[in-house]
Amino acid sequence: MDHRLSLNVPLNRVEGDLEIRAEVDDGVVTDARACGTLYRGFETMMVGRAALDGLVITPRICGMCSTAHLSAAARALDMIAGAAPPPSAVRIRNVALMTEQLQSDLRQMFLMFTADLVNERYARAPLFEEAVRRYEPFKGRTVLDTIRETRKVLEILVIVGGQWPHSSFIVPGGVVSVLSPTDLMQCRLLLRGFRDWYERRVLGCPLGRWQDVRTAAGLDEWLEESEAHRDGDLGFCLRYGRSIGLDRMGRGVERFVSFGSLDLPDGTGVQARGGGSRLVPAGFASGHDQVRGFDERKVTEHVASSWFADGDGDGRHPMQGETRPYATGQESGKYSWAKAPRYEGLAAETGPLAEAVIARDPLFVDLVRRDGASALVRAIARLARAAEVIPAMEAWLAESAADPVFYRSPGEIPDGEGSGLVEASRGALGHWLRVERGAISHYQIVSPTTWNASPRDGAGARGPMEEALVGTTVQDAANPVELGHVVRSFDPCLVCTVHALRRGRPAGHRTVGLGL
Amino acid sequence: MTRIVCIGSRFRAEDAAGPRVYDRLLGEALPPGVDLVDGGLAGLGLLRFVDGAERVVFVDQVSGFGRPGDVLALDPGDAALAAPPSPDHGGGLPYLLRVLPGVCEKTVPRVSVVGVEGPADERAIARAAALAMELAAGAAADRGAR
Repeated sequence: MDHRLSLNVPLNRVEGDLEIRAEVDDGVVTDARACGTLYRGFETMMVGRAALDGLVITPRICGMCSTAHLSAAARALDMIAGAAPPPSAVRIRNVALMTEQLQSDLRQMFLMFTADLVNERYARAPLFEEAVRRYEPFKGRTVLDTIRETRKVLEILVIVGGQWPHSSFIVPGGVVSVLSPTDLMQCRLLLRGFRDWYERRVLGCPLGRWQDVRTAAGLDEWLEESEAHRDGDLGFCLRYGRSIGLDRMGRGVERFVSFGSLDLPDGTGVQARGGGSRLVPAGFASGHDQVRGFDERKVTEHVASSWFADGDGDGRHPMQGETRPYATGQESGKYSWAKAPRYEGLAAETGPLAEAVIARDPLFVDLVRRDGASALVRAIARLARAAEVIPAMEAWLAESAADPVFYRSPGEIPDGEGSGLVEASRGALGHWLRVERGAISHYQIVSPTTWNASPRDGAGARGPMEEALVGTTVQDAANPVELGHVVRSFDPCLVCTVHALRRGRPAGHRTVGLGL
Repeated sequence: MTRIVCIGSRFRAEDAAGPRVYDRLLGEALPPGVDLVDGGLAGLGLLRFVDGAERVVFVDQVSGFGRPGDVLALDPGDAALAAPPSPDHGGGLPYLLRVLPGVCEKTVPRVSVVGVEGPADERAIARAAALAMELAAGAAADRGAR
């Protein structure tokens, strides 16, 4: 009897178009390919345009993380112009990016990741009925709470940015918003409401108590400490996730990269762990404890397995990278529209867990040391990030009211080269551009999901998601929910990675709207 | 308060009917108590325009509900059935309609959906604008118009 299967699994709850091709041998994944199925064209779209056009066009890359793209685009232009945004502009830029992360992290967790937890596979699991009450699509208590609460917290972005998504309020030299004390107070009240919900329903405890959890053993003690901790969604996901084995699947390459994010403005009372100049430090980690400083020059992108024309076959730094689509149907070895980013030539995962490891967060360093970078640890890191974000947001909103200067003109954008590196909700995002004779002559974007869902590189090494899938046990090939757990633990956003128009709906399919 | 919320992307011909209806209604006098909203691609962000309204008329381009150029008053429940289990980029209005009763904190509005089957010419856009106005004014029953 032949026990070898090839599974092609289209993932319909990622933000875009991703297909996983997994080879399964006797119920275990032996190889995997992550295929971005749509062409990305924003880089070529930018060439020839005015220098500031990226502020309007690149936020359209994604409806979930448009502020991150705007931040990266503006940061690159800051570099070219030598702009020095005033401290409160830095604060408001940070608050905007953090607000976007809050909504993205919570929505990804409770509208996308946990939908798999109520899969029929787990109908006999002891906590299944409670999981259904919380996470059933359209109806679950936590699903509906999340929609309500993230809708409200996003009003912060509407106040500071005029709209969300796709605002263009961040510009070289600061932000165009002029926020009154009343505007800032409104933002603080909205954030307070979100914090109340997050503490009450997600953590089941005050932020301070959660921040005292510093080891894997301490996490277990916290869980045992009170019914509120066990009943909060973080505690419930931990208990349920362990009961169905999420802590034993999805270990990836166990290398991590962060571009760093959230500059500390002059005069702020907020301090970065380790004393750096950004709240989220940049770095590269091999394993849970080998953290090194980050050097932007070591970022490259490979196209050996991507439907782009090969240059010299090696990875290229984004400043030398090209976007020349090449898909004849005849080439062998190419299988994705995503490129393959590498740091020092190595695949690395990015996102909230990577940020925590690189920041030497004691809890997540210890969890990775003890359990590995599993699907469950990845998901919990995403869910817990709000606990780090909220206090800094509160401080920066309060500080801005006392220092209401939000823009300092850098003058015209001169010719030159710049890079804007930030941490988007899903991890390391970079924009690289060159301006010549007043127009953009070069634009390259490396988005978080190209790190995580990258195809093989020039050396044939798998990307992090592909590597994480290998070894996964698939109990039922007709319902490979395990693959969904692993893939969605990375929070893939293939809109960023390959983004393009959605065309060719199957005949007879009924649709309402197309692009929401 | 009644709101007409036009949805879609004016940069994509196959999804531009909502914004085109919005543009047409901008030049018309709205009945008292009716607001006009360019809903764009806001997805769940549309909640802020919906929660607390008494009645909401969505205008959106549809596919597979009729013949090209048809303008239809859709049953919101029927439209909601097209929702995926989570609000990815294909979810949009159907997902919003599906979760609406559970997420409104004020009043759950009475919802109408004006669907414009593409491709739509200017006459179809004009009919859709007229139907949206009629529904918003509360004078029309939920029926189709061609």
